Amino acid sequence: MTDSTIQHTEDKRDVTFRVHRFNPQVDSKPYFDDYTIKLEKGITVLRALNYIKEHVDPSLTFRAFCQAGICGSCAMRINNMSKLACTTQVWDELGKTREPDVIKVEPLRNLPLIKDLVVEMDPLVGKMQHYENWVDSTMPEEQWGRKEFLVSEEEFQKYDKATDCILCASCVSECTILRAHKEYVSPAVLLKSYRMNVDSRDGHHDQRLAELVKDHGVWDCTHCYRCQETCVKHIPIMDAIHGIREDAIERRGTKDTSGARHAEAFMEDIEKKGKLVEATLPIRTNGMAWTMKNLLPMAFKMVVKRRTPPPPPLVRSTKDIEKFREEFREMSGHVAKDHQKKSGE
Amino acid sequence: MKLFDIVIVGGGGAGLYAAMEAMKTNPGLNIAVISKIYPNRSHTSAAQGGANAALANKAKDDTVEMHIFDTIKGSDYLADQDAVEVLCSEAPKIIRELENMGTPWSRMEDKTIAQRPFGGAGRPRCCYCADKTGHTILQTLYEQCLRKGVQFFNEYFALDIALDGSRSKGLIALNIKTGKIEAFHSRTVVFATGGYAKMYWNRSSNAAGNTGDGQAIAYRAGIPLKDMEFVQFHPTGLRKSGLLVTEGARGEGGYLVNALGERFMSRYAPEKMELGPRDLVSRSLETEILEGRGFDSPAGKYLHLDLRHLGADLIKSRLPQIREMCMYFEGVDPIDEPIPVRPTAHYSMGGIDTDNFGRTIMEGVYAAGECGCVSVHGANRLGGNSLLDILVFGRITGRAAAEEAGKFNPSPITDAEIADKEHEIRSFMRPSGHYERYGTLREELGQALAQNVGIFREASKIEKGIEQISILKERFSHVRVFDTSDVYNTNLIQVLELRNMLDLADTVAAGALVREESRGSHTRTDFPVRDDENWHKHTTYTLEKGRPHLGFKPVTMGRYELQERTY
Ligand code: SF4
Ligand code: SF4
Ligand code: FES
Repeated sequence: MTDSTIQHTEDKRDVTFRVHRFNPQVDSKPYFDDYTIKLEKGITVLRALNYIKEHVDPSLTFRAFCQAGICGSCAMRINNMSKLACTTQVWDELGKTREPDVIKVEPLRNLPLIKDLVVEMDPLVGKMQHYENWVDSTMPEEQWGRKEFLVSEEEFQKYDKATDCILCASCVSECTILRAHKEYVSPAVLLKSYRMNVDSRDGHHDQRLAELVKDHGVWDCTHCYRCQETCVKHIPIMDAIHGIREDAIERRGTKDTSGARHAEAFMEDIEKKGKLVEATLPIRTNGMAWTMKNLLPMAFKMVVKRRTPPPPPLVRSTKDIEKFREEFREMSGHVAKDHQKKSGE
Repeated sequence: MKLFDIVIVGGGGAGLYAAMEAMKTNPGLNIAVISKIYPNRSHTSAAQGGANAALANKAKDDTVEMHIFDTIKGSDYLADQDAVEVLCSEAPKIIRELENMGTPWSRMEDKTIAQRPFGGAGRPRCCYCADKTGHTILQTLYEQCLRKGVQFFNEYFALDIALDGSRSKGLIALNIKTGKIEAFHSRTVVFATGGYAKMYWNRSSNAAGNTGDGQAIAYRAGIPLKDMEFVQFHPTGLRKSGLLVTEGARGEGGYLVNALGERFMSRYAPEKMELGPRDLVSRSLETEILEGRGFDSPAGKYLHLDLRHLGADLIKSRLPQIREMCMYFEGVDPIDEPIPVRPTAHYSMGGIDTDNFGRTIMEGVYAAGECGCVSVHGANRLGGNSLLDILVFGRITGRAAAEEAGKFNPSPITDAEIADKEHEIRSFMRPSGHYERYGTLREELGQALAQNVGIFREASKIEKGIEQISILKERFSHVRVFDTSDVYNTNLIQVLELRNMLDLADTVAAGALVREESRGSHTRTDFPVRDDENWHKHTTYTLEKGRPHLGFKPVTMGRYELQERTY
């Protein structure tokens, strides 16, 4: 990019990029550098950073590759939100901070910092390996290439959207549980695990699921919806998380120890969430009607099957919710009784 | 020092397929994949269209034979026919193999893999996954490599082949995260680093890293490159970024308009208008710009792709991706404003000269994918054949390397060799005399190539280009890396990439000058017709005394005789 590319046109403005800096060889802790450059409308944050690197400060360090929103390299926090620098227009970010024409740029959170805006991706790859995020084909390798599996549109639809994930780690960066527990599976890995589990060609479903229900797995998610709200590819990550939980209860029931733990987790959830009234994200962002429509069906499906009650939606203590919670306790009671009966038999 | 059996450089489709196939061929081998980025970021992910294979799921009468013919004709008869035969006959198998390991192909009613029509193909044989085909193939391969436990060295930048006379001992690479120079002592090395079209810089649709690293390393080691002058241009790249606006926009009825408000395609293709073949449309846009009917901006001249008359509803429902792209990357909403476009370099047909097993003339060194040149694309690649190429030849090369690795017993790479490289790298941080900025040089290289060795070429311009490249190379010797730190020094990496592009630019320009004919993507205004008598042959380039030494190789013919290429 030349000066000329940047400077052409009518709509020009001085924009300050307040960029997180850290060089482990010299800095004891991170700091911010301000770069003020004149920009035209229509420039992405990545192009602005490239300009700064080429013309102002060559030591400024960040990752970028495709510059087209498909490789996932350039995820960073821009004005406190994790997103792709290459698909973010500077003009859309102006006015998002208290100071006009200042854009804050920081590295992703929840992954170890390497330098400036670059974080270590290995932990994420490690989790993909741990949760076996690959199709383990039911067809023996020697037979590969001869004929295709027949896959219906319906089966394909189950994982189509999930395969949009570009592993940019934006969702990872915003996940509330990961802030506290680095070992947590991570939303992108849950999404990928789900994608593999619903693939009719995969033969590793049960083992993967067994791993997902252990500590730091799918039951640790708080349903805060941050990941889904963040996803740069607009993937309904929560559908995957619900899907895994539903599947876990259906396939594994509550008879094994981890099954029992689900029930406990649920109950605990209800109690905890009663207190977490401020963190009622789905309702805050999607409204009560949405929450009832999208989260409750799963709850009722489970209850009809007389299995462990589902995770409750994060709710505000309104009257409706009080009622729901009561019903919920009752359901839980049924389930608990069922268990006693079962074990007594 | 640990001895690897195979070191694969590059983690895109070709590299990952090679790794997987090598593991399958002999699980006991010690195999490493070295990539300057995380493999799942590779440029393979940007291929939207699909991969051709005569599965005959859609058109029941499609055959491998027809695929072969389409490919040879598309190549303007410069492809080697035996190689094309391998490509096309392996195609159905490899698409099914990918399916069997989990690639989410789109499906037909009868649950088989869906296929769609593509430019230059006589039957609908392009297998796809919506508009994310390359992305899903890359994910599948990466996942399967993780499953098989392939050793990855991510964020390592390959520097050079470690040579023992004219033989390879392995590879020397820079660990980007630590800044350390590391030796990969290896029996075989496979280059799969992708294309070199990014040397056109702002006039390229490629990812920032498609800088021809593998080709440049091979070239510096004395391995010949082939057909480098053939670079394919796409007609509608966005003005600022070069990113592609896919053909779909014109397919839906978009107009190409010049600064006089004319739908200028009426001059070049009165019947097909905007939907003429890709190379013709590219040349038409370029002509309009050259003859002064383009829009002017300091960022360069451009034309308009106007979709406004299609209406907001159609744009939103049928072209949502394109609209999003224009807004993201150009800040323009096509519902309200025309899209600024110009032709953009997007694929390199040339590469490291290999045989049908990916072998180069150097024992134990292989190349595959866009990095290599077998050649299956000849002077012009067909849409849907690039993904196919990386898969088929990635696999064949991986197997060949696995089977042959045992034959080679390289001597160890010495500490002195590593120290030499360290010294070379450090020297970029304190150049003598005045210093140059890499950003400026890189930009100027792109302009020099686009203007002189771009879509339209002629002797005087190419000579000017060659001169500019040599001046840029001289200036490069003063380039300075300002970032002196070891950890994740992207300033240094980009300088090393620029060096690779400069080395290769020489060969592109030299080939363009010597080939006095027009064939496929190579258009000489001073030699406007194809000249089979003199030029039905491959060009090769070997580095001698700092300059590309030209050679020629016959084209392997077979069933198909030379014919005029008309559509
Ligand atoms: S919903 Fe679960 S996975 Fe998503 S951000 Fe919240 S805690 Fe993390
Ligand atoms: S789920 Fe979305 S945000 Fe998370 S890594 Fe994938 S694409 Fe990025
Ligand atoms: S650079 Fe590839 S997603 Fe932004």
